[in-house]
Formats: sequence, C-alpha cells, structure tokens
Amino acid sequence: MPTGAKFVVEKQAFLKSLESIGKKNTVIGPVLMDDGEVTFEPLKSFKKLTFDYVNDFDPLKRFLTPAKENLFTFNLEGRKPRLKAADDVKPFILFGVRSCDVQGFAHMDGFFSGAYSDDYYWRRRNNMTIISMACNKPLPTCFCICCNGGPWLESGFDLQLTDFGDRFLIDVGSNKGKKLLDSLKLKLVKAKPEDEENRKKLMQACDEQMQPTAYLAKACIMITNNRVREELWQEMGDECFSCGGCTHVCPCCTCFDVQDCMIDDKNGVRFRCWDSCQYAGFTHEASGHNPRVKAKERVKRRFYHKLSYAYIKQDGHPGCVGCGRCITVCQAFNLLDISAVVKRLRRDGAIEVETVEQREAAK
Amino acid sequence: MENLYLPQLSIIDKIVDETSDTKTFTIHFADREYNKKFRFKSGQFVEASVFGVGEAPFGFASNPNRHGSFDITVRAVGAVTRAMHDMKKGDVLGIRAPLGNSFPLKEVKGLDILIVAGGIGLPPLKSLIDPILDARKDFGRFIILYGARTPADRVYKPILEQWSKRKDITLLQTVDNPDDGWSEHVGVVTTLFEKIKLDVKRTVAYTCGPPIMIRFVIQDLLGMGFPEDRIISTLERYMKCGVGKCGHCAIGHKYICVDGPVFSYQQIKRLPER
Ligand SMILES: Cc1cc2nc3c(=O)[nH]c(=O)nc-3n(C[C@H](O)[C@H](O)[C@H](O)COP(=O)(O)OP(=O)(O)OC[C@H]3O[C@@H](n4cnc5c(N)ncnc54)[C@H](O)[C@@H]3O)c2cc1C
Ligand code: FES
Repeated sequence: MPTGAKFVVEKQAFLKSLESIGKKNTVIGPVLMDDGEVTFEPLKSFKKLTFDYVNDFDPLKRFLTPAKENLFTFNLEGRKPRLKAADDVKPFILFGVRSCDVQGFAHMDGFFSGAYSDDYYWRRRNNMTIISMACNKPLPTCFCICCNGGPWLESGFDLQLTDFGDRFLIDVGSNKGKKLLDSLKLKLVKAKPEDEENRKKLMQACDEQMQPTAYLAKACIMITNNRVREELWQEMGDECFSCGGCTHVCPCCTCFDVQDCMIDDKNGVRFRCWDSCQYAGFTHEASGHNPRVKAKERVKRRFYHKLSYAYIKQDGHPGCVGCGRCITVCQAFNLLDISAVVKRLRRDGAIEVETVEQREAAK
Repeated sequence: MENLYLPQLSIIDKIVDETSDTKTFTIHFADREYNKKFRFKSGQFVEASVFGVGEAPFGFASNPNRHGSFDITVRAVGAVTRAMHDMKKGDVLGIRAPLGNSFPLKEVKGLDILIVAGGIGLPPLKSLIDPILDARKDFGRFIILYGARTPADRVYKPILEQWSKRKDITLLQTVDNPDDGWSEHVGVVTTLFEKIKLDVKRTVAYTCGPPIMIRFVIQDLLGMGFPEDRIISTLERYMKCGVGKCGHCAIGHKYICVDGPVFSYQQIKRLPER
C-alpha cells in the first residue's frame, strides 16, 4: 500500500475497528456535549462520537501547543536547584480533524522546525496520527477555498476520510497512516475512478456553499508595500477591543508567554501559555519603551504577519487557513476578522508611498 | 541545543556594584565539561533565570577570549533583575546561551573603530571592546564615546579610568547632569561628535543604548556621511524565549533574538516598524 493509495471501506467497520484500537491508544475525536456543542475530546467510547459537526470552535492546535504547557519543574531544596523537563507524551490519534486544521498543523510544523527546532512541539507532533475528514458542508463562516485550506487536501494528513454516507473514501497520506490502516485490519477495496468522481462532486457542492470571501491578493500587496492608508489602520485600531480572541482561535498563531509559578515553598514550574500580539503588554519593555502601544499598531502587526510577502515567502503560504474562527470570535462586530479586513483594504485602495530611499533622502 | 527551554545551572563567582542600581555578575556553568567547552561571540546574549521568578535577556559583558566564566551587567528594573540583585556569591542561576547573532569584527580589520554607548548600553559593547584591545594593532584609531545620566550612573568606572590612560584609545565621556567633581563634557552623547575628527571613509561605528539615543546617533552618523553598512547597532525588544518562537521580539518578519540583536543601519531601515 503506497502513500497516495486510495481505498473505500464500510464506515461502520472502520469505526468499530478504530474503537477497538482506542482501548489501548488515545483517540481524540468530535464529541456531542450536553449543551449541544461539539468539541474534540479523548473518546472513552464511540457512543458520543458525532458526525454532525463542521468544526470545533476551540482550535485543534491545543493538542500540539496546549493553552498552558509545562516546560520544566524545579525543586529549590538544597544548594543547587533540581530541574526536571516535562514528561514524555504518549501516542494519540486525532480523528475527524477538518482540512483547515490539518493545514494549520502544516504551518506549525514549519514554524517549529529549523535551526531552533522546538522539542516540546515535536514530542507531541511526532506522537500524533491525523485522521482528517474532508468537508461536505461548510459553516457560514468558512472560507478555506480562499486559503488552500480545504475542503479536502492532497497532503498533510496521515489518513484522510471522505464521507460517502455508508462508506469512507480513504486517502493514505503517510507511512504513519499506512501503518495505522494496516493495524485496523479492514477489508479494503481499492478506490475506483467513479469513487474519485463522487468525491469531486461532493467537494464541488461544498465549494459552492462557501459564503465569506477572502480575496487576499490585493491586501497582501498593500500590506507588503505599506500602502494602506494610516487613517484606515487608525479606524481599525479604534474598533479593536484588543481582546486577543482572533489570535487565540487562529490555527496559524503560535505566540506564547513564559512564566514561573511556585507550587509550594520549594517546588515550582516554568510554563508557557498562549499570548497575543493584540495585547498592549506584549511588547512592553522593562525600560518602559513600548513599540506597539497603540491598538492600530497591533492590528497592523497581526495583518503584517498574516499577509505580508516577507512572511509568505518565509512560510510558503499566507498565515490563514480559512477556518473562519476569527469571524465567529471578533467582538468588534465582525469588522476585524481576516475576511472583513482584506475586503476593507481592497475597497479602500492602495495609496502612493515613497520608497525607503526617498523617505531617507527627505529626512 | 536539545531542549531549547531548559537552562544550564550556573554559579555566581563574583558580584561587583557598578552604580546604585547596577551590578556585574561573573558566572560559570556548574557542569564542568559544559563550562570548559562553552564559547560565545561579541554581541551575543544570555537568558538568565531566577527559578520561581522568571527569565530575562542580558548581553555578554566580558571578553569572548576569556574562557571558564563570563560577565553580565544588570540594572535592577523589575522582577527578575531585582531578584538577581538580591543574590550572593555562590548562588545558582539558570543560563541559556549563547543566543543571537554577533558584532562583525574580523570583517572590519584595518578600519578605525568608533564606539558610541549610552548608560547600560556599554556592557554589551564591552564584549566587543575587549577583543579589539586584544588585537589592537589589527585596527586603526579606536574612539569610545560614553554618555550617562550622571557621573555616578556610569558603569565600569575603574575600567574607564584605565582606558582613559591608554594612548591607543580616545575615550570621551559625557553626562546629562554633572556633579561638583565632574571635569569632563556635559550634554547628550551626540554632542561629543563635535569634539572628534573622524575619517568617515575608513571608520566603522558601533552603538548601543536607549532607543532614543540610538536614533539620534544614527541620524548624526548618516549626516557625517557614514555608509549605512558601517553603522552597526543593537535593537532591543521585550523577549521571552530568545530562540525565535514566542513572537515577542518580532519586528516585521525578523526576530531580534535570532536575526539580531546586532543589525547594520542598512538592515534596520528596511524593517517595517522601527
Ligand atoms: C538582547 C537584550 C540584551 C539586554 N542586555 C541587557 C544588559 O546587558 N543589562 C541590562 O541591565 N539589561 C539588559 N537588557 C534589558 C533586560 O532584559 C531587562 O531589563 C529585563 O528583561 C527586565 O526584566 P525584569 O524581570 O527585571 O523586569 P520586568 O519585571 O519584566 O519588567 C520591568 C517593568 O516592565 C513592566 N513590564 C514588563 N513586562 C510587561 C508586560 N508584559 N506588560 C506590562 N508591563 C510589563 C513591568 O511592569 C515593570 O515596570 C537587555 C535586553 C535585551 C532584549
Ligand atoms: S524572544 Fe521569543 S521570538 Fe524572540
């Protein structure tokens, strides 16, 4: 079974087999809560598993970079403190992830690698197997088709499922996925051309239901070249509550704070927790100097990171997967989510600015 | 580095009072092998931990050619720095180092060197001054301009005294508010430029200090005709991780903790926020 192989399998048989594996491994999947919300949780049994969901409002990045994560504990008894790095992570399966979140993971993979590869991220990431679920039906806030974030993917997952009602179409995306599928011991039927046709139709139908738009191109150019009217940033700064909601729910946002906390007299922990560039304290230096003291500068920062060519070149994609969570969360009456902002920039139009050289010469 | 966030236990060998709010700590790593192999470059920095309080970045303030221990000079301004000031010889800190890029040094051999430092900006530059003095004949003239709020606010007073006696260093000092004993210049550090003659074509300038000082220094250097790539400055931002991950120190798509803290003006002027 090579990577890229496609199979069709009975849905119930697949779930039953996954459930039996779940007795020994942690399987995290979409669960219907008592209050009617769907959230991703470790599944003790598959009874509460639901397929009537599009996405979890709480971004699934929390399984790779938890909102709060211990870096190490320390014991201060005696002359020399004793440090203990955080415990290892056990393997787990993330079942039912939507394509946008899978793209979010791909973004984080890139960010947490490189010269300073982040151990704490990778010990979770390497232990996670992704079974993603292509989307047949978007939410009114979804716009993944504008950001290469879905509704289905060519790569990034270990296994990808497309729901055919009583059957799943399975894409094998990696060796990890291959191994998992082997271990499920299922009766697999090689996908036929009509199965792929069927998926195409489903995905096209999903495409057509997308409501918000995020025509990024012009906003990218305007932001990269500093051609957004300063007054427009000011307007957006005035509207922003600086609540940080957009960054917390964003699958591409990774910023964190680091804090020490004493548990008792002698024992303490250093942890990291999600932080937001939208908070005024984010750049407050000990000297009192704060380069982004105004909300307008922070809004500008957020969109520079998401949409400037400098970052797109570095990351290989804009910092958005089209999950639409910022649309849901924005307190500012949906004026500052990414779809709204690119629209405002586009309609406002680019202003003429001088080049760096001209600006220098004028000084 | 295996675990990016786990500090090395480190012992304070010596603490020297520099000013009423600033101390210099001499530190070595508790692990002997690690300490023996440890090297850093001029301009790099450490993340120093007081366990239970937190972590903060400080520039290396000693000669990179000195092995076995290093210095950092710390002004008490907040939680971590005050906790450090309360520590004694033999106490244990956590250190993650070396972090960040470094001052260009080999590249400027043969040139005149101009150092412009303000207040607590002198310590990081000391990690550059020391190796230049070690190889003094490899460089042309050596001019150090140092400004502080008051005479008492100057760090490294005994060392400044030594430097002022050396024939191969031109050291000019200035303060904003003089006291009775002060016989040198009064005014902001940029007013010292009038008192020196520079061969702009063959000089490289290094500056470190408060953001506002750096701005005026760069402006004046440009006015004198310094090429943009011969003006070298450090940028300071609020930092947490020091390894390009927490996002706090970002300016544009550069992270001061890994792409900096040392930048030429040519690089600085291209940053979208500065
Ligand atoms: C590369 C680099 C090199 C440096 N080198 C040196 C050096 O050689 N010597 C030196 O003395 N200093 C140096 N600094 C500065 C030094 O790192 C700071 O002084 C230090 O981080 C202060 O830490 P603290 O915990 O003592 O202060 P904190 O307690 O963190 O802060 C002090 C003040 O800032 C405010 N503050 C801090 N964080 C926030 C926030 N998130 N929101 C609102 N307010 C906040 C606090 O309220 C307080 O008033 C350097 C900095 C950098 C980036
Ligand atoms: S200090 Fe964390 S990214 Fe630079």
